[in-house]
Amino acid sequence: MDMGKAPLVELIGIQKHFGGIRAVEDVSIDLRAGEVVGLLGHNGAGKSCLMRILSGAMVPSGGEIRINGETVAFSDPNDARKAGIETIYQTLALADHLDAPANLFLGRELKTRFGNLDDRAMLKAAREVLARLNPNFKNLGDPVSSLSGGQRQVIAIARAIYFDTKVLIMDEPTAALGPSETAMVAGLIKELRAEGIGIFLVSHDMHDVFELCDRVVVMNKGRLVGSHAIDEVTKDDVLSLIVKGDLPADWSARNLETVPA
Amino acid sequence: MSNATKTGGGFALSAIAPANASLHRLSALLTLFLLVLGFAATSPAFFTVNNGLTILLQTSVVGLLGIGMTMVIVTGGIDLSVGSVLALSGVVSAMAVKAGLPVLPAMSMGILAGAICGAFNGLVITKLRIPPFVATLGMMLIARGIALQLTGAIPISGLGDAFGALGNGALFRMVELRPNGFPNVVFPGVPYPAILLLVVALAAAYLLKKRQIGRHIFATGSNEEAARLSGVRVDRTKLYAYVMSGALAGLAGNVLMSRLVTAQPSEGVMYELDAIAAAVIGGASLSGGVGTISGTMIGAFIIGILRNGLNMAGVSAFIQQIVIGFVVIGAVWIDQIRNRP
Repeated sequence: MDMGKAPLVELIGIQKHFGGIRAVEDVSIDLRAGEVVGLLGHNGAGKSCLMRILSGAMVPSGGEIRINGETVAFSDPNDARKAGIETIYQTLALADHLDAPANLFLGRELKTRFGNLDDRAMLKAAREVLARLNPNFKNLGDPVSSLSGGQRQVIAIARAIYFDTKVLIMDEPTAALGPSETAMVAGLIKELRAEGIGIFLVSHDMHDVFELCDRVVVMNKGRLVGSHAIDEVTKDDVLSLIVKGDLPADWSARNLETVPA
Repeated sequence: MSNATKTGGGFALSAIAPANASLHRLSALLTLFLLVLGFAATSPAFFTVNNGLTILLQTSVVGLLGIGMTMVIVTGGIDLSVGSVLALSGVVSAMAVKAGLPVLPAMSMGILAGAICGAFNGLVITKLRIPPFVATLGMMLIARGIALQLTGAIPISGLGDAFGALGNGALFRMVELRPNGFPNVVFPGVPYPAILLLVVALAAAYLLKKRQIGRHIFATGSNEEAARLSGVRVDRTKLYAYVMSGALAGLAGNVLMSRLVTAQPSEGVMYELDAIAAAVIGGASLSGGVGTISGTMIGAFIIGILRNGLNMAGVSAFIQQIVIGFVVIGAVWIDQIRNRP
C-alpha cells in the first residue's frame, strides 16, 4: 500500500480510563480520505470520549494515533488543529460575548504586521465563509449569544472548515437544527467528502447516518462492537448493535439479519 | 441568549436595566454628570480647578486598581488582594530606597513585588484549581501580613523629595514669583498620577481591544471550555490577567505612598472593593466576558467624586461608608438584572 492509500486517521488500541472506569477500551478505527464514518452508540458508550481524544481535548491512557501513517501525540486541541483535525462540538463551543468573526478565528486570530488583531481581515473572511453556508447571515457584529441556534451552528461549522481541514469530527451537528438547516449540513458533508476530507459523524439520527455515511462503527460500554460498510447493514442491524452491544465484534452482517427487530 | 429576550416581569425595572454594555456605560456617564451637578450645587468649593485636581489625584489610585481588576473580572475571576498588594508594594519600594537604591529602580522593585503577588494568585488559581475568590482572599492576608511584618507595622518615612515626585509632581505647573518673593501658582498643572492613569488606561484598552491576549481574556471569561477547545491557552491567559492586576496594584501603591512620601503598611484596606465597584459600575460583569476600561474609568470617577463630594458637603466618614456600600450593592444589582435570562 503506497502512502497515498494509507488511512488518513488510524486509531489503534485507544484506551481511556478514569480511575477504575474504562471509558474507552482498546478501540481501533481507520478513517480514509473522502470517507464519512458514522460513530454510533448509547450516551456514555465512549463516542464523545474517543472523539475528544482525537481532537486533542483529552489525552488517551493508552494506544496510538496515526495521521497519514505518522504517529502523533496531541497534548491539547491546538496540536490536533495543526494536524488538520477540526471538531464541531455538540455544545458548539462558542464564546457567547464575542461576535462571529472573533469566534471563527478564536485561537487563530489574524494579525497585522504590528501584531495587532486584524479585525477588518477577519470580518472580510468571516463574511465570505458564512455567506457560503448561509447567504442570509448578516449580523456579523453581534455577540453570538443573540443569534439563532442555526446561525450559531453555522459559525461552528464555518470555523471547522475554514482552515486547512483534513479530518472533520461532527458531534450531533444537526441535533439543534430545523429541516432546511439540516439539509444544508447534509449537502455540506457531501461536498466536503468530495473534496477528500475524512469525516467522523457522531449522531443518533439513523436517517442522517444512512444517507450520509460510507461506514458505521458502533461503540458500547467503551468497546467497539461493530464496523460495517453502510450497504451491508440495515437500520435494524445497527440498532441491534447499539442496544445489544455485548455481541461479538465479528458479528457478521448476515447473522445480524436474523436478529428480530 | 442572555440579552436576546428581556423578561422584565412587567416591572419598570427594564427601563433602568440597560440591554448592553454601551448603554450601561452611558447610564454610568449620566450618573457621573448628575453627581457633579449635585455636588456643585451644594458646595461652592466643589466645582473648582483645585478640587478637580484633587479628585484626579484621589481617583488615580482606584483607577489603576480598577484597570487591573477589569482584566481579572473579564476573565471571570476576582482579585481581592489588590489593597494589600498595594501596601506591600509601597513598603518594598520604600525599603529599597532606604537600602540605598535610586527611586526609579526602587519603585520598579515595588511594582515587581506586586507582579509576583499577582503571579502567585494566578498560579494558585490555575494550577491548584482554587477559586479566585478564595485564592486572592488568601493573598489579601498574606500580602498584608508581609507588609506589616517587614515594617513592624511602623510607617517608613524620611524617603526624600525624589520619592514624593511621582505622587505630588505635576506637568505644566506654572509658578511665578511675586514681587514680595512669595510664589504664585498660575496653573497647578496636571498631576503625574492623572497622566499615569491616562497612559495606563489607554494601554490597557489597546491591549484588550487590539491584541490577541485581550481577545483571549474575553473568550476565557465568556466560555472557558469553548476557549480551551478553540486552542486558547486559558491558564496562561488567566495568569496574565492576575499578573497585570498585581503589577498595577504595585504601581498604585507607589503612587499612593509617593503622595504621602511615607510607606504605610496599613494603607489600602478595602481598596479592592472600590476597584471592584468601579469595574462593575462601569459595566463589567462579575460572571465574566464583559467589561471595558472606559467604563471602569467612569466607575472610578463616580466613586472618587462621591467620596470627594460627600467630604466637601461635610458628610461624616461613617455615612460615606454607608453610601458607598449602597452604591456597590446597587451596581451589582444592576449587573444581576442585566444577566437575568
